[in-house]
Amino acid sequence: MKLYEFEGKYLFSEVGIKIPRGVLTSEHIDWKGKAVVKSQILEGARGKRGLVKITDDVNSAIDELKKLGIEKFLVEEYIPHTKELYVSAILDRDSGNPMIVASPSGGIDIESSKDIIKRDIPIERGIRPFDVLPLEKYLGVNGLYGVINGLYKIVVEYDAELAEINPLAITNEGPVALDSKVILDDNSLFKHEDLLKKLGRSYTPDSYVELDGDIGIIGNGAGLTMATMDLVKIFGGDPADFMDVGGGANSERVKYCVEKVGGNEKVKKIIINIYGGITRCDDVARGIVEAYKKVKKPIYVRLVGTNENEGWNILKENGINVYTNALDAVRDALR
Amino acid sequence: MDKNTKVLVQGITGKEGSFHTSQMLKYGTKIVAGVTPGKGGTYVNNIPVYDTVEDAVKEHDIDASIIFVPARFAVDAIYEAVDNGIKLIVVITEHIPIIDVSRAIKYARAHGSRVIGPNCPGIIVPEESLVGIMPYRAFRKGKIGIVSRSGTLTYEVADILRDYGQSTVIGIGGDPIIGTPMQEAIKLFDEDPNTEKIVMIGEIGGTMEEEVANMKKKGMIKKDIIAYIAGSTAPKEKRMGHAGAVVYMGLGTYESKISAFKDAGIKIAITPYDIKNLVS
Repeated sequence: MKLYEFEGKYLFSEVGIKIPRGVLTSEHIDWKGKAVVKSQILEGARGKRGLVKITDDVNSAIDELKKLGIEKFLVEEYIPHTKELYVSAILDRDSGNPMIVASPSGGIDIESSKDIIKRDIPIERGIRPFDVLPLEKYLGVNGLYGVINGLYKIVVEYDAELAEINPLAITNEGPVALDSKVILDDNSLFKHEDLLKKLGRSYTPDSYVELDGDIGIIGNGAGLTMATMDLVKIFGGDPADFMDVGGGANSERVKYCVEKVGGNEKVKKIIINIYGGITRCDDVARGIVEAYKKVKKPIYVRLVGTNENEGWNILKENGINVYTNALDAVRDALR
Repeated sequence: MDKNTKVLVQGITGKEGSFHTSQMLKYGTKIVAGVTPGKGGTYVNNIPVYDTVEDAVKEHDIDASIIFVPARFAVDAIYEAVDNGIKLIVVITEHIPIIDVSRAIKYARAHGSRVIGPNCPGIIVPEESLVGIMPYRAFRKGKIGIVSRSGTLTYEVADILRDYGQSTVIGIGGDPIIGTPMQEAIKLFDEDPNTEKIVMIGEIGGTMEEEVANMKKKGMIKKDIIAYIAGSTAPKEKRMGHAGAVVYMGLGTYESKISAFKDAGIKIAITPYDIKNLVS
């Protein structure tokens, strides 16, 4: 679960990372002096898109951003600083340990940056002062233990997959986190009900990912669904989504998925690729037929596996194209 | 693993556990016992159920365990299996907190147990033994080893390779941190006399597949590898179904994996349906 900037900063303050004084608002506020008005949305690159404003007139900035459809704003004091850094903690997949990643240039695109230092911290022993020294040396800054220890804590105690500060401002009073990016492990949310309550967030993970194209994609299993999406692209089509019905999906679940994908106005055709193991093809077919009554768009179903004959009959009786080979289904759909 | 491997089922009385126990038994897997706290003394498919792994190992020789325990309790089930000396632990359970998985896997390794998964379909040695949830219609005895991060895509690829058959098929799981990474599974296949060629089914996110390419390049893997990577059209930082199928900080993109394969002489399948031609 990705956190909003203000939520990430709430966690920062919990673990002792200094943040600017600020207010969360959706209306005009009473504010004197220079401020930074930041749109609270979950997508990145807000700066580049003009969704962050440094201003002496906070309420005009709010009005301007509202015109772009933004509803929530974090208004913060402007922090004069001499230097900006990049610092993050991430759970490293290879070692299974939290890893600190840092760069002396803040505000950068870390993906393309060569100027970074990484340090793996064995989870068994936790972070130690001697872990921080080489990082400080590389960055040319002192006094980072609190920040790095805080990020580490967010990974191990709050189950974050990523806790990032970009940029971290270096001021005369020490480091201040100007931005936050925190992604919590969806699987761990049951352990953090108190935090979710405090943030006022409820969250149900859903596999649905919307893309830019016009071909609806549904599959069972993440791998097969991704492969179907890729196949459409290779054959010259443009996928509109990724939607995995999940293991052992029943008719209801399949109906929900087809209606959700079909409900996207951009979608012109729907490709469904199912290899039924635990999932039963007759259940899948019934779900598709139910959804088809509402979603009146062409549907191309590749359906094999457990109870396939029953599934095929149900689809054919209802005039839905059924295939045993995924390549044929995709080719026909893109014709 | 073979037809004599003696298997314990943790979480045997649950919906998934009991159903798949019957499926595995039909396939010929030697399931000797099950565990569900509070259900000791009962039977599922004529298999005796115990309250703890400790009780089960007192009565039976056990080589491997398969875990169907719900996510909240699955980590405890891993620790319990390790503490009772079980050497192979297959974790089917999905959605276990990643950091807890990381700790449990380190613990298992330190105590000499191998974990496969979590969030995986298990292992199958066609026509001998199934410790997993694979629908067996897709599998046939043969010479191709398949290792995969995805369940259904494994069934699809096994089916595509029906004419050749498979030696062993391992689903290593779709989580970011897993007990048996791709590199180790491939190494096992390279050393396995029953395997002639290796098919690797990967996906975006993480760098396991690049590590395999590196091993191949250095000559540490002798056998031919044919690889497919799912997710070429996935946008970055969007999670594609699997907890592990997400690109952070530019690590593990489709392009980085493909270019590593090219560099190492690993054959690349553009779609899963190309794999058959590349194997022959």
